[in-house]
Amino acid sequence: MINKKNISRFIDTGARWILGVVFIYASYDKLFHPQAFADIIYHYQILPDRLINVTAIFLPWLELLTGIFLMIGFWMPGTIIWCNFLLVVYIGALSFNLARGLDIDCGCFSVAGGRSINIETILWDVVFLALSIYLFIVVFGSKSGEGTK
Amino acid sequence: MQLQNKTPKTHRRLLGQAAWQCGVIFVLAISIGASVNQFRNNGLPVFAHRSMRTSLKTPSGARLDISLTEAKKLFLQHAAVFIDARPKKDFEKGHIKGAKSLPWHDVDQQFIAVTENIPDNATIITYCDGQACELSRHLANFLIDAGFLHVRILLNGWTKWRDAHLPAEQKDDK
Repeated sequence: MINKKNISRFIDTGARWILGVVFIYASYDKLFHPQAFADIIYHYQILPDRLINVTAIFLPWLELLTGIFLMIGFWMPGTIIWCNFLLVVYIGALSFNLARGLDIDCGCFSVAGGRSINIETILWDVVFLALSIYLFIVVFGSKSGEGTK
Repeated sequence: MQLQNKTPKTHRRLLGQAAWQCGVIFVLAISIGASVNQFRNNGLPVFAHRSMRTSLKTPSGARLDISLTEAKKLFLQHAAVFIDARPKKDFEKGHIKGAKSLPWHDVDQQFIAVTENIPDNATIITYCDGQACELSRHLANFLIDAGFLHVRILLNGWTKWRDAHLPAEQKDDK
């Protein structure tokens, strides 16, 4: 029977799965090509040199864990904070480099190249951030806190 | 759905959970990443000096980047083919005079049409724009793989060329 509770649960699960798939998909290529991913981070020209390889080593795993935990609804308070944090960082990095006119690969979902940063990539991240903020409100807001275990 | 406000106690509990879960997720990511990196064949040195120029080499160690002076000399001698790796709309706004457009995004579709009249031993200079010109590097590697013998990259090419007031074709000129 369709009621508000079922609809709400359906939306919450849908948002978790969409974000989960996005994060897992985003991590996949980076996990197998750490050198190429390090090159992409380097070209963003934001991190100091000594942090580039470290970031290329752990960030794909952070994305993968975040994606898996989102999909199975595990450790949602911590997971949704990472989810929001990563998306804010990505939007900030993309916007910063777009504003200063760097013509670089996004590296968002693939390290193979061919997709420059542009307003579209930022808008997609904004859409994902909206979903992530919704889940943050579900977890920390006034609802009963389902899925927070 | 019956909504109920979380009590301050519940919020404190949630924030506490969030804090330790964030920490554990971070430590897990670092630990798994470091372990996998240690044992994989293509693992990265954790701390390494990087520069754009060191990444611009062929597998055999030959340099791919070319200076503006050298590129200008080849241009004036008509001894090089310039290929613009940027999207078509950027090329149409302005490009090095006589350059061919081969956008990296459409390289599979346009490669044959753009390069069919270029001999394998011709000097090709790829360029795009911006300090970290990824598109031109990808295109250069693609051209090398395709069999071209003398491929170079003019880093930050369009900006350098324009700032040096070298021959260019720009939309405003038309």
